[in-house]
Amino acid sequence: MRELTVLHLYPNELNTYGDHGNALTLKRRIQWHGLEPTFVYHHPGGRLSDRADIVIGGGGQDSAQADVQQDILRIGDDMHALTEAGVPMVLICGTYQLFGHRFITNTGKVIKGIGVLNLETIAGQKRMIGNLMVKSDLGVLLGFENHSGQTFLGKDQAPLGKVRRGNGNNGKDKTEGARTNNVFGTYMHGPFLPNNPFFCDEIIKLAAINKYGDFQPRPIDDSLALQTRAGARRRKY
Amino acid sequence: MQDFLGTVTGKTVKAGLRFRRGGGQALPGLVVEKIFPKYVRSMLSKLPDGVVFITGTNGKTTTTKMVVHLLESNGKRVLTNSTGSNLSRGIASSLSQHAKASGRLPFDIAVLEVDEAAARRLSEQIKPRWVLALNVSRDQLDRFGEVDTIADYIGAAMRAATEGVITNVNDPNLFTRAQKITEKEGTELHLFGSSSKLSRYFPNDYELAAVNLSKGASKGSTKNNVGVSLEDFNGNLVKYRIINENYESRLKVSGQHNYLNGAAALALGGNLMPDVEIKDLVNQLAEVSLAFGRGEKYRLSGGAVIELVLVKNPASFTQALASYGSAKANLMIAINDNIADGRDVSWLWDVDFAPLQTKIVALTSGKRAADMALRLSYDDIKTIEIENDLPNAVHKLADRKGDKVILATYTAMLQLYKLLSKHGEKVL
Repeated sequence: MRELTVLHLYPNELNTYGDHGNALTLKRRIQWHGLEPTFVYHHPGGRLSDRADIVIGGGGQDSAQADVQQDILRIGDDMHALTEAGVPMVLICGTYQLFGHRFITNTGKVIKGIGVLNLETIAGQKRMIGNLMVKSDLGVLLGFENHSGQTFLGKDQAPLGKVRRGNGNNGKDKTEGARTNNVFGTYMHGPFLPNNPFFCDEIIKLAAINKYGDFQPRPIDDSLALQTRAGARRRKY
Repeated sequence: MQDFLGTVTGKTVKAGLRFRRGGGQALPGLVVEKIFPKYVRSMLSKLPDGVVFITGTNGKTTTTKMVVHLLESNGKRVLTNSTGSNLSRGIASSLSQHAKASGRLPFDIAVLEVDEAAARRLSEQIKPRWVLALNVSRDQLDRFGEVDTIADYIGAAMRAATEGVITNVNDPNLFTRAQKITEKEGTELHLFGSSSKLSRYFPNDYELAAVNLSKGASKGSTKNNVGVSLEDFNGNLVKYRIINENYESRLKVSGQHNYLNGAAALALGGNLMPDVEIKDLVNQLAEVSLAFGRGEKYRLSGGAVIELVLVKNPASFTQALASYGSAKANLMIAINDNIADGRDVSWLWDVDFAPLQTKIVALTSGKRAADMALRLSYDDIKTIEIENDLPNAVHKLADRKGDKVILATYTAMLQLYKLLSKHGEKVL
């Protein structure tokens, strides 16, 4: 059976509110499409797996982010290489920020990121918390944001999409997330993939085509996701 | 003078309210608080045995009920706050109703259940003698931001404690804070916890969320000097180890988390009443029955019996599934997303549904019924029906054969109470 390896970065440090839901959704949908998922976990200080068809990483508390920062600099070159190779990645909140150039804290301290995405994040005073709706090339993305960092995209950095409701990257320029090659970063945490199943399938498709040259999707009953999406569209920020 | 005026004002507003229907509990307090901001502090400072706070993510209501019972059983007159009503206003209301016009209070001690944010705010006004911090885990992060923030709030209350802090040795977030704070403040630190044998029942926030970690692996409870330890249980026959002696009792409450709440209550009760025999306290603990939303049963007029269980965060949901997931009962899950429930339902994805052995949920209901069903579908659990409307869902559940259990978030639970009291009666 065709297999896809999912590399989950820092699952014990970066896992605030429902990030395991995304891992679970990816696992189940890979199975439902007739492929075999293998999950490998990368922990700080551990040896990086040499196989990765998909990379995922979640959000974390500010304190946890400091714990993984040293480690992510160590694996930065590998992440750049995977990006060049077209490996799809779903990076949420904290991981998204660390894939940018830097994070500047309230006290002006600079936490270096790995610069896969051309962006920087500045600590904000106000937390942006609420239901987020974003128009992307792949479709309307629905999720929940909860962050105080304000992310600003560098020149020529493509966003993931345009904010229709909520704050997105910084609450100012209407951009949300970022995309470079097949690397996707976003502030939509929690059940981002189950509520946007077409996005999850796109990640699986990209990975399957990279590895096997083609992808034959199988029909999946997404009627429940259609219901949650209808509810999410009506919801206020 | 302020005390007198505060008391009279509160009583006057309450008297005016008698002609209105329902509610109105917090209103007298609101008025008193607005007019006399220092009223609460001043009144509470008169209590001969002072004030204690009970805080944490889960188990506050039950533990408060236990501590109040221990105190009352030994002749103490206890002022406490009822669940749900706005805290400082609720206290102000309660004070003004009970105080004599002279400002004298017919109480010895106040035992206050305070949520994490209130713990910080209130400790700026009132210095508690003891702070009992039960646990901290991810809950309402759309309100609080981060788990660390919640723990910091509790830390603020710990700093305000004049005699000391009692906390859970198995909760690293609270334990390390309590150690630092009590050392710096020169106050006492007392610990409760569970034996390493039971640690798999009580994963902390980190363990709940972590992968590849055997539950309980990071525990080291035996190294520390634990005052009250939950040693073992068999059904609701519970063994505690208290200062190197073993005690055994059959509790009225059930569920392993409540046995641990019992350990916390004994630790606080023992410190507040050092002269009472521990054996007596353990026996008194056994008499306490369940608090709000912790497994009460209602019999509907048609004869169907429905059991209600509150779920409000991954930890409490996981506990509920451990208690009810293996039974063949018809299960209904009601999820709302009002502010009191948490507007972000991401937490449903942090719950492990593996204990649900039947792989079938009869109904999901509430504002987020579809989100719940979607979550279940990813663990191959089939939801027979999605019914957003709670009254309709209850009727459909009542028609099913066999035992019936509803797991519900806070505001759904309030709605269910009203509904079930109207169409049935509580089973004792």
